[in-house]
Amino acid sequence: MKRPLHPLTLWLWAILLAIGVVAADSASVALVVVGAAAIIVWVRADGSAWNKSFALALRVGALILVIRTVVGILIGVPIPGTTLFRIPILDLPSWMPGIRIGGAVTLERLSSSIHEGIIIATLLALFGAATSLTSPHKLLRVMPYFIYEIGITLVIAASLLPQIASSLRRIRTAQKLRGIELRGIRSLALPLLEESLTRSLQLAASMDSRGYGVSRKRSRYRPIRWKSEDSLVIALTAGLSIAMMISAG
Amino acid sequence: MIAFSNVSLIYPHSTKTILEDLSCEIAEGEMVLVMGETGSGKSSLLRLINGLVPHHTGGILAGDISVNGISTRSVKPGALAHLVGIVGQNPISGFVTDIVEEELAFGMEALNVPPETMRKRVEEVLDLLSLNSVRNRSISTLSGGEQQRVAIGAALVMHPRVLVLDEPTSALDPIAAEEVLSVLHRLVHDLSVTVIIAEHRLERVIQFVDRIIYIEGDGSTAIGSAEEILKNAELVPPIVRLARVLNLSEIGTSVRDVRRLTEDIRGREFLSEPTLPVERKPAINISHISISYEGHIALKTATATIGAGEIVAVMGRNGAGKSSLLHSIVGLLSPHSGNVLVNGIDPQTLQGAARRRAIGYVPQEPSDLLFKQSVEAECAQADHDNEIAPGSTFSLLNRLVPNIALSTHPHDLSEGQRLALVLSIVLSGNPEILILDEPTRGLDYRAKSLFIKALQEFASTFNRPVVIATHDVELVAELADRVLFLAEGEIVADGSTLDVLLSSPAFAPQVSKVMSPKPWLTVADVVNSLSSL
Amino acid sequence: MNRTKDIFRFKGLATFALVLTSAVSALGFIWPFLVSEKQSHPQWIFLAAVPCALFLLFISASNGELDAKSIALLAVLTALIAALRPMGTGAVGIEPMWFVLILSARVFGPSFGFLLGALSMVLSALLTGGIGPWLAYQAFAAGWIGLGVALIPRRIRAKSELISLAFYGIVAAEFFGIAMDLQFWPWTLGADSQLSYRAGAPLSTNLLHFISYHFFSSMAWDIPRAVFTSTLILVTGKPILHALRRAHTRAAFLTPVEFIERAKAPKVEL
Repeated sequence: MKRPLHPLTLWLWAILLAIGVVAADSASVALVVVGAAAIIVWVRADGSAWNKSFALALRVGALILVIRTVVGILIGVPIPGTTLFRIPILDLPSWMPGIRIGGAVTLERLSSSIHEGIIIATLLALFGAATSLTSPHKLLRVMPYFIYEIGITLVIAASLLPQIASSLRRIRTAQKLRGIELRGIRSLALPLLEESLTRSLQLAASMDSRGYGVSRKRSRYRPIRWKSEDSLVIALTAGLSIAMMISAG
Repeated sequence: MIAFSNVSLIYPHSTKTILEDLSCEIAEGEMVLVMGETGSGKSSLLRLINGLVPHHTGGILAGDISVNGISTRSVKPGALAHLVGIVGQNPISGFVTDIVEEELAFGMEALNVPPETMRKRVEEVLDLLSLNSVRNRSISTLSGGEQQRVAIGAALVMHPRVLVLDEPTSALDPIAAEEVLSVLHRLVHDLSVTVIIAEHRLERVIQFVDRIIYIEGDGSTAIGSAEEILKNAELVPPIVRLARVLNLSEIGTSVRDVRRLTEDIRGREFLSEPTLPVERKPAINISHISISYEGHIALKTATATIGAGEIVAVMGRNGAGKSSLLHSIVGLLSPHSGNVLVNGIDPQTLQGAARRRAIGYVPQEPSDLLFKQSVEAECAQADHDNEIAPGSTFSLLNRLVPNIALSTHPHDLSEGQRLALVLSIVLSGNPEILILDEPTRGLDYRAKSLFIKALQEFASTFNRPVVIATHDVELVAELADRVLFLAEGEIVADGSTLDVLLSSPAFAPQVSKVMSPKPWLTVADVVNSLSSL
Repeated sequence: MNRTKDIFRFKGLATFALVLTSAVSALGFIWPFLVSEKQSHPQWIFLAAVPCALFLLFISASNGELDAKSIALLAVLTALIAALRPMGTGAVGIEPMWFVLILSARVFGPSFGFLLGALSMVLSALLTGGIGPWLAYQAFAAGWIGLGVALIPRRIRAKSELISLAFYGIVAAEFFGIAMDLQFWPWTLGADSQLSYRAGAPLSTNLLHFISYHFFSSMAWDIPRAVFTSTLILVTGKPILHALRRAHTRAAFLTPVEFIERAKAPKVEL
């Protein structure tokens, strides 16, 4: 279970399952999928920084669920059926005509909102799972050659971030010692900006000197190969997704 | 291998001629040094070799430069990438990725080299430069010397015939510099790579080079062997000055050569006046401070007392704790045991104007302190902050380095000018102590001697201490009264400059290496002793 | 006379791709107003279409116009903006990324600005783990903000430039707020609340619903964002523009490259 997968495998897995969940349009199926995703994340997590994305996605999903439910209760178009409880009717200003807050809340109304909220939360959870198990670094490395320029820009930007952080610390130190206490953005941001821009020009010279842009075709050092495990995962997921679509229709 | 024919260079929108009619031929396997004052066309000359000038930077070029028969006129810089490898002044700015191994592979990927060849070459270069242990590490966590080696590796991985380096040892301590230079030496002699190098710290490289190209301020150039050029040049390393002063028949470039020529001088007896220890009022008290962060112990129970009017140099390898010591003196780092007192006050309690008056700090990157658009604005800000008469900071600056236009943007100044600006800003606060972190990177000898004079004046006129962290052994020899030597967070040596520098072979200045066992550190010492006869 | 390469600009086929993909993603934002009764699941279709559009746009931009200098500048500014974004969390509407984006787009051009906006969104998503289909919407919105700086005439300088840029900052802040709300409107409200979009309803009804929704949801963010952005532009704009313009000059875009035959360099009158 711990063999490294191609970075795109889990993303394809997430997309295929998302399609299945949307097509099946059933809250119970969605909850099962979330549970499966949670198990997969728990098993395959390796302690890297991005592993937290899944928990974050679950939280955001729960938030959306709550919002949907509250919205449904307060301003949902009523669906007739068994009334569960009543909310006092609030009067709104005249320029918001036709909108009434409150009234009877029916079971059908509540379950409809919750159902939709669960579907959306499931989608978020799936993408969160894919994000938490894929290293952004590896993702950048498998960018196809036809978006190489954009890809390399992102790679360079990502590598610059630790440099920017240390520059900021250094400048903050020096400014404090010039007796400038929190004079704000100008004294900190400007030296940082100047230094970063100077570095970018040196970087451009270095890239040109190393032959960037001369050849249209590029090779890959240590390419990440698509293995049989990846095909297996995709095939299984596709099958599952199709089953979900069939069960709905 | 490289041929310059009647090369003249001028940049558009500028009237300064960078190079005037340079013609020379550099053979394969030669090591050539390019020298000149800061601001002269050294970097431009280096960048002419691979075509960055003028294709990348713009420029008006007369004459022709050809590398291995290919003229740089007709090809873009990248087309010469397999032939010419260039390592810029600031290696970390040239890195595209953050992992060592991928950085090495980048150039080859861009040129569509097949993967098997890439693997082979990466392994070769990792071995050649002893980078195997750091191959998967993040580049931003490496030391300066390792980063420099990665930059050289990234150039070498293309198997270039020519390697061009712009100030490769400026940020390195003497030992790391030695490592880099010996790698270059091996490249030249084992692999017949042609190496062109620009340096200010000539004392480190002179003995390795075959020829020197000297660029004057007006763009004219002089080319010849080291002895020829250095005989009459203005900016020369200490052993050449020594040879001139002693009227030796030849100029030696290595310690060994000059030692042979000075045998008789060393044979004579000299009266040594015992230097009386100077009584100084203690100004900075460092007692048993220990600092650690992120699990790494930076300082272990360091103790020292620095007196008023003393100039103290803090030396040691990169990572030995020099910065931590300085930062605790200025009050940036709080030690978890022990304390620091600056003139009786705990520096951490200082803020704003009080801090400026108590402590003057010149950081490693002087431009960290600059945030205005012009020299004038910076000086005015300093006048305002320190509540002194307008124009005083600028006149301080003028005394250090004259002829700086008021409207110049601080980032357009040369290294020496920028250092002078920051120094005047700091000095205008009339600080009780002065702390400097690696101030002489990128300074040529003339700028350095002006700087030395300024510091000596400050220390003696006001009787205040100066603490400098530096790798520059020659600077220490000229300037410092006392040396604190750090290794792995501990002060392993604390004594007069003479004692400490003489006892360490790696950190000894050139003159003392030549004149050993005589206790002389600088040319001035030698002259004084000779004249006392 | 030869010149060094210019900074990145959308040209030819790439411009066409920009217009096309922008149209698709614009539809992705405003389809609730346009959809008629019988479309099935428009929100899912666009959820898939907009990321594809972004991908296609990136492909067309990677066509060789991006040379080392443009990439290096783009990477540095993207990194700076992405580093700034998290500094706003916790405080409502305090988003430091916009003023840098707008000022950079002003100096380096709208094409550059578009890529800068889009890529900084992508990079900060990569870092914070917020990758998903919504990212493409955000990227387009930020990109349009960078592109829109072209509306300010090039010739304006000094004070009026700062004021125009600050005004643009207010407009852009509101635009982003509206765009984000448009994006989330069908998702947070669904199709069956009183403020939802009504398929096939007249424009006025849907607009009213949307404005009410917008009022309740993110007005609280829009106003601080607008104020914060325009204030930062006014206060720090001059030195930042100056620094960016210096970099533009030092990057030597479109600088003459001349080869002369004479042995001595001529005294050039410039």
